[in-house]
Amino acid sequence: MIMLTLTRIEAGHLADLVAQFTELVNGTPTDPDPALERLTPDAYPEDPDASREFRSLTRGDLLHRRAHDAAIVKRALEGIEPLDGTDDDFSPADIAIPDDQIDAWLRTLTAVRLVIASRLGIASEDDHDPSDPRFGVYDWLGFRLDGLVQAADSLRAD
Amino acid sequence: MSTALPELDEQIDLAAAASGPWQTVVWNDPVNLMSYVVRVFREYFGYSEDRATQLMLQVHHDGHAIVAEGAREQMEMHAQAMHDYGLWATVREGGRS
Repeated sequence: MIMLTLTRIEAGHLADLVAQFTELVNGTPTDPDPALERLTPDAYPEDPDASREFRSLTRGDLLHRRAHDAAIVKRALEGIEPLDGTDDDFSPADIAIPDDQIDAWLRTLTAVRLVIASRLGIASEDDHDPSDPRFGVYDWLGFRLDGLVQAADSLRAD
Repeated sequence: MSTALPELDEQIDLAAAASGPWQTVVWNDPVNLMSYVVRVFREYFGYSEDRATQLMLQVHHDGHAIVAEGAREQMEMHAQAMHDYGLWATVREGGRS
């Protein structure tokens, strides 16, 4: 088990992001969505036929598993008291993540970051606009994800 | 010792089938964290920390790395697993680096 400590405000933001993410992966977009494309990338960029076949076989399952992972994160965040507009919103809340749910957390935070990066048009490591608050959200998620990876790595026996 | 040669042939065939001519390739992206990519290589492929770190650095500096080689079906399975982790992976016929 690892412990993730967030302020209630952070937990509220994360719950919002995960809800939006769930809607995205459960949706049926009429137009190609670059963010969904990124979550289900081309396996054969040089072979359109093989790529189409691979995607038709794997895409539904991949997105279904993203929704499943996100539901695990959502349930954990539901255990935190909702925001009430007082100073309590800044108080820390501990989330205990059992070993068998760590990957679901890591994959979900990663996938949410991939979607945000797609929406922001991040194409290189230098793409960063400090005046755009969405980059703040992106960086914050990266910081929390890195902390979770370190906590998860510390569980390894070797 | 008359069976030695046929057995040897069989071993060579088995080795060829196991290593196969296909590759799973992971490509660099500006989003995924280095620490996370190393963890994925360790967790999924069971690579040592050194090997996983080396592969991650290769992805980062060279733009891509071959993370597995073998039969096509196996490489497709690996690519799908990498996609599950949010990594950008492709499958291709071997012989390239």
